[in-house]
Amino acid sequence: MRVLVVNNAAPFIRGGAEELADQLVRRLNATRGVEAELLRIPFRWEPADCIVEQILLNRNLRLYQVDRVIGLKFPAYLIPHPCKTLWLLHQFRQAYDLFVSGMSHLCDHESGERIAQLVCNADAQCFGECRAIYTISPITQARLRKFNGFDATVLHQPLLDGERFIGGEYGNYFFAGGRVGPGKRQHLLVEAMRHVKSTAKLVVAGPLDDEDYGFRLQGLVAQHDLGDRVELRFGFHSRNEIAIMVNAALACVYLPIDEDSMGYVTMEAFSAGKSVITAYDSGGVLELVRHGETGLVTGADPRSLAEQLDRLAGDRTTAIEMGRAAKLLLDSKALSWEHTIARLLNV
Amino acid sequence: MKVVIASSFVPFVKGGSRFIVEWLEQKLVEYGHQVERFYLPFVDRPDDLFDQILAFRLIDLSSSCDRLIAIRPPAHVLPHPNKILWFIHHIRGLYDLWDSPHRLVPDSPSGRAVRRAMMELDTRTIREARQVFTNSQVVATRLEHFNGIVAKPLYPPILAPQRLRNDGYGDEIVVICRVELHKRQWLLVEAMRHVKTPVRLRLCGTGMNSAHLDAIRAAIMNQRLESKIIYEDRWISEEEKIERLAPALAVAYLPEDEDSYGYCSLEAAHARKPILTTEDSGGVLEFVKDRVNGLIVPPNPIALAEAMDRLFVDRANTARMGEANNRRLSELCINWDTVVESLTS
Repeated sequence: MRVLVVNNAAPFIRGGAEELADQLVRRLNATRGVEAELLRIPFRWEPADCIVEQILLNRNLRLYQVDRVIGLKFPAYLIPHPCKTLWLLHQFRQAYDLFVSGMSHLCDHESGERIAQLVCNADAQCFGECRAIYTISPITQARLRKFNGFDATVLHQPLLDGERFIGGEYGNYFFAGGRVGPGKRQHLLVEAMRHVKSTAKLVVAGPLDDEDYGFRLQGLVAQHDLGDRVELRFGFHSRNEIAIMVNAALACVYLPIDEDSMGYVTMEAFSAGKSVITAYDSGGVLELVRHGETGLVTGADPRSLAEQLDRLAGDRTTAIEMGRAAKLLLDSKALSWEHTIARLLNV
Repeated sequence: MKVVIASSFVPFVKGGSRFIVEWLEQKLVEYGHQVERFYLPFVDRPDDLFDQILAFRLIDLSSSCDRLIAIRPPAHVLPHPNKILWFIHHIRGLYDLWDSPHRLVPDSPSGRAVRRAMMELDTRTIREARQVFTNSQVVATRLEHFNGIVAKPLYPPILAPQRLRNDGYGDEIVVICRVELHKRQWLLVEAMRHVKTPVRLRLCGTGMNSAHLDAIRAAIMNQRLESKIIYEDRWISEEEKIERLAPALAVAYLPEDEDSYGYCSLEAAHARKPILTTEDSGGVLEFVKDRVNGLIVPPNPIALAEAMDRLFVDRANTARMGEANNRRLSELCINWDTVVESLTS
């Protein structure tokens, strides 16, 4: 089966969507009986007038000798094909929620309203012709229902490289990965370490959102004389380095403020069989972390956190058992590439 | 410099028209440029020819790169203030193949109007380019004849020629390319019935036309040529290619009226092997000079068989032509320095 993955492209820019598209093609090619290739169509949305041309051009392209199309983004998914499945990362939000909230470049345009309507019409026609529509998050699913009246199924994005997160020993440290910044609240963790009674350490590793926050964390460590308890590894780490740190941790900690999704950090920990300590207000993370089963959920303050950290550090058996349950839960969500590809190709 | 390379492709079809794009991309990066490559789908079907070309025309990269290098048609219609073409062929069914079975539309008033529209559109959009290069003299001549545009051949090199080597001149004449009717491996199979020496033939490659592949296999079997012909019916790896070429007696490449010399001619030259080709092979004849760096014979089995025997018997001459074939590369300035310099200056 020949599967063409279709994505839009801003020249010279690479981000998460590009990573996902490349990974999807690689995984498709690793699937028996599937040959996959990526089609990237340049997309320009400024000035707003050119959006109409972009719709037209994508509709005018033709595909032959392709059995399946998997569309990821507007307007590339408008390219006609009789057997098209969408896996929507998001819509062209400038014509939808951002337009409504006044944050779209279409809002200041004299024909903005009409352009937004055109996008909506083009989407409606395309969605109606698709064999199936999946979205990558419940939020995109909800927007699709609200603005376009189409039902979609959520198909979460699997870990790009889950095979790295295979677990290992349960060392005497907690690992806090992911971006480091006020929105992820690593300062609460550092402060919690003042109150932790066990000998367990804390390792914080990830790129800094802003330098000041890095200084703040370093200041806290110095102020409370935590140098031998807390290790701050700011900056970029290779996927392999991150996996090594996750795989040997006792458990992981992740405290974002009201995250949209379950978070890669949570999925990586669960994949490696590590339970996760998180906060009541961490949003999507709570989809996976269940208190006392796959991790611990606590108030977002240093003392409550310290209590939970001590609880796990003092009871390794529980840490290991919850880690095991975490892995089972992740597996049961079938967030694997095999499952994802089976869904995307099952029309 | 920020460079976008744009070309058209048919999803899942590989071959020379991708190599030229991807190798150039790699080389431009090596020479320090920022490169983004776009393959856009295109099939020359008459029903939606102009719809597709319109789509290409609407792709606006004018503000996203310093230079656009367009390769396979209709990528040349993309607008850009600094557009350079490395034009590799026309939509030939509307051009030089009009008076052939490959004509794309009927020779009717409306068909002729399509042809005229295509030519006008090409002429206009090719003229927008700051400079036009082609991959061969054949294509440059066609551009001048049909579009009145003067273009310069810029011969495409292969990616890593230094890996090819020569282990002497053995018994095998090797053919490494797509197996298609117009590449005429079948003619070589026929010729093998008539050879008088123990010369052997090795075909490597496969193709899209499975009936034709079956026919080749059947011909080898029915004419009891299994001991003389080895057919590796698959895409061989680059490493295998090196190993097949190193001990070869010569390389055969006799496509029917091809636009350019073909990468297999270059591979032969880098491995210091002479090329056996035919009088009607088009662009190959820009590269091969008869009895200098190869043999050019009429496209019939008897003539080909005689040439194969000659290559086998007169090894000294075969080796001399092999060496001359290597010198041909520098005579024609086929190297990446020339290509990158031409396309980025």
